[in-house]
Amino acid sequence: MPVSFSLSQRISIAPDVLHRQVGDEAVLLNLKTELYFGLDQVGARMWDVLNEAFSIQAAYETLLQEYDVPPGQLREDLDELLEGLVALGLVQLGEIGQGPSVDQPTE
Amino acid sequence: MTAPAAFPHPPYRYCVYGTTISSEIPLALPEQGEGRLARVELRVAPASHFADAIRNVPFERPVEDWNHRASLPDGSSYLRWDGIGEFLTSADGCHIWCRQFEDAPFESFQVYMLGQALAVVLVKRGFEPLHATAAVVDGRAIVFLGHSGFGKSSLAACFLAAGHRLLTDDLLILHESAGRILAYPGPPRIKLFPKVAGELLGHIASGVPMNPGARKLILPVHARRNQAHPVALGAMYSLAAPYDARRPQSVRIESLSPREAFLEFVAHTFNDRIVNMRRLERQFTMAARLASVATVKKLSYPRVLDRLPDVRAAVLSDLDRIDLPVAACAGPIVAWS
Repeated sequence: MPVSFSLSQRISIAPDVLHRQVGDEAVLLNLKTELYFGLDQVGARMWDVLNEAFSIQAAYETLLQEYDVPPGQLREDLDELLEGLVALGLVQLGEIGQGPSVDQPTE
Repeated sequence: MTAPAAFPHPPYRYCVYGTTISSEIPLALPEQGEGRLARVELRVAPASHFADAIRNVPFERPVEDWNHRASLPDGSSYLRWDGIGEFLTSADGCHIWCRQFEDAPFESFQVYMLGQALAVVLVKRGFEPLHATAAVVDGRAIVFLGHSGFGKSSLAACFLAAGHRLLTDDLLILHESAGRILAYPGPPRIKLFPKVAGELLGHIASGVPMNPGARKLILPVHARRNQAHPVALGAMYSLAAPYDARRPQSVRIESLSPREAFLEFVAHTFNDRIVNMRRLERQFTMAARLASVATVKKLSYPRVLDRLPDVRAAVLSDLDRIDLPVAACAGPIVAWS
């Protein structure tokens, strides 16, 4: 069962993380852990929307309009993706109007 | 780092992997025009030069017990293959100092120099060599990505046997220029097991073992079978592992998504022991760019020598269906070198 994130939070790409769109998909590299990650077409779109949106709530609403998916299922998928991204150090969570709340860079 | 120099200006000049090599010693390379990508000076140094350089320097954990490597405090790198020779590459990637061990065949020494040692230099110069062998079909590089023992050279030899030219064996340099990705020629030689060489190329007499413990032979490739100039990148095929339990009894070619292609490029970077943040960033950029513009497929086939012509036929048939040119990309030029 994925952790449920507060919709009022926003995400930002963690320092030392590179990301590129390749075709409809995306690839990521965490330079700290030297691990590569791939996102399929849907994951890549969720990544884009999450990083561009003002909040997770805004991202959720955008995705709900784009995909033919029940709201509860989308929330679950979003939480699952976010949990993975946070656990792998690829994104940081923060409150709206605040900086990231986890793993703040020390320099 | 300096070393005694017999010649102020090395008298021999060659071009390989798009790189001009000014050498103190003659090499088994065709003397040809300038390599536009980089310039490297190759000099011979005495044993004392290497002994002094590595004094009190710890060696890296060896992958093969006859290969020794060390990173020196000044950023230069030391490489040695027992029974073959030793090399020092400068931190800026502009110089290689070499010493051929007694009794080592020059062909073997040169394979390690123009393969492993030069690859270290190219990485230091900002290039990202790929572990790949390539043949030329209809004027384009057809690339076989694969780890050691995956059959890259055997498959390329099968293309040679059908009249295609060899572009490079084992190490591939790609460079994007003016919206095209060009593939650069390697040394005119191919490394094959004697049985493969005998059956596909019909000659093994001119072959020299790669190293004292190896069965693979280094075979020179005649000028008419060797591609001397860079060509546009065509399609790329990543070879499935020969020991894969699911290996097919027939030839199978599957398209890879850009994400899957990206991972193939990352997995097949040459000299993956050099890991630092700058290189990882560069690899990431290179792999993402290539994955966006190149046609990459997975090629699975039974590792049976007399089936190689079927594999060649399947690849040629697949090439007919691919909408080339893939190398002409409309996006901005992203040089990863």
